[in-house]
Amino acid sequence: MKNWWKYLCILLLFYTVIMGFKGSIPELNILEESIRNLYFHVPMWFAMMTLMLVSVVYSIRYLSKQKIEDDIKAAAFAKVGFLFGFLGILTGAVWARATWGAWWVFQEVKLNGAAAALLVYAAYFILRGSFDDEEKKARFSAVYSIFAFVMFMVLINVIPRISNSSLHPGNGGNPGFNSYDLDSNLRLVFYPAVLGWILLSVWIATLLIRVEKIFRKKHGLDLEESLILPVINSSKNNKVENTDYIDFEEIK
Amino acid sequence: MLSNILKLVKKEVMLEWRQKTALGTIFIYVLGTTFLIYLIFQGNITIPTWIALFWIIALFTTVNAVSKSFIKDANEQFYYLRSVATPLEIIFSKIIYNALLISVLALVIYAVMILFFNENISDKGLFLLTIILGSIGFSNLFTLLSAITARTQNFVLLAILGFPIILPLLLLIVKMSELSNFAIQDKDIYMNLGAIGLLDVITLILSVVLFPYIWRD
Repeated sequence: MKNWWKYLCILLLFYTVIMGFKGSIPELNILEESIRNLYFHVPMWFAMMTLMLVSVVYSIRYLSKQKIEDDIKAAAFAKVGFLFGFLGILTGAVWARATWGAWWVFQEVKLNGAAAALLVYAAYFILRGSFDDEEKKARFSAVYSIFAFVMFMVLINVIPRISNSSLHPGNGGNPGFNSYDLDSNLRLVFYPAVLGWILLSVWIATLLIRVEKIFRKKHGLDLEESLILPVINSSKNNKVENTDYIDFEEIK
Repeated sequence: MLSNILKLVKKEVMLEWRQKTALGTIFIYVLGTTFLIYLIFQGNITIPTWIALFWIIALFTTVNAVSKSFIKDANEQFYYLRSVATPLEIIFSKIIYNALLISVLALVIYAVMILFFNENISDKGLFLLTIILGSIGFSNLFTLLSAITARTQNFVLLAILGFPIILPLLLLIVKMSELSNFAIQDKDIYMNLGAIGLLDVITLILSVVLFPYIWRD
């Protein structure tokens, strides 16, 4: 069973959707039935953070090994991370409208952090689109993604502590969800939901990677070696080194 | 290494001084923007607005001033520089030069803002310190990004790449500027200064570590 985690993902998501809409929930003021969004809105962010982390790990790997495959993976995980971040904002806006009374609340550092994360991703994709040369595209976008990741971590970890204004549970004097959750019914669905959505996001990313690899194979593009860098970096493959170097000089 | 860095900084200053049009462009940009804002706000703003406008003008001026810092090294000069200096020397010299440039520009903006709007910060020493620390942070971040964007033909790219990731630093600087006008506790001031200093160090380390990967062909 190589793909056991895909079956697990399907199972968990069925469980999440069924229990999410039909399961019992504690009686709550203001939140009421909207608490069910806990199983959809919050896991989106868990999935996005996971994918961001994986993407930046592949970026670091690309810089150290210069395998174009790592760049393909970094880009695929970033794409799916963007999708889940966007879904997180959508589900969050619906929830905010129901409980706080507005689609977007200004005094809310987490919203602004989320918007900044999506902007970073958008900039990353535009940067990738600005290069013709594949190796340059991979290298520069890896550098940007590492830089942006560190700054984003600073943004979401440091700034909320200083501004101390958040409407989210567990921030700015608001009670956390733990205090609502007396019979821990929510947890029984929430944890599987988080795992299920993360697995789904990884699954989508692996599909994107496969599509990209098939596309490259069909067009005869090499996966193992990048185009120019072996000249500077490694002397493993002399043949590639020489031909590429000559080609490059001729173009110049 | 140190003498090489100094030589490179000197080279940057001399090049800038020779092309007085480029320097003039950026000064006129500062004057023009501030004057425009003075007219739009009809010469009447509160301190928080003053601070917000100051940093917005400073940010846009920085992007414009720094965006060309690697353009002139993009072609043949690139190979020459590569052969005479290590990547570390290049990035340090560029960061030092850009920090100087941004500081000077920010001080000019400050002077022009005082000239047009009578509003002023109460603790000027602290605000100047904020300007210096902020300029260093801007320089660390935008120097590296401009090295990336110099290789593309997309000139808006620097702003797109820079704005979302300058956000933590910018928010801290704005907060610090407000504290330099009015602070209840000294503790807040030290905490904010410490946070800005820490961010300056983080951005510097990131730039220096990542630059060698950009400084190739």
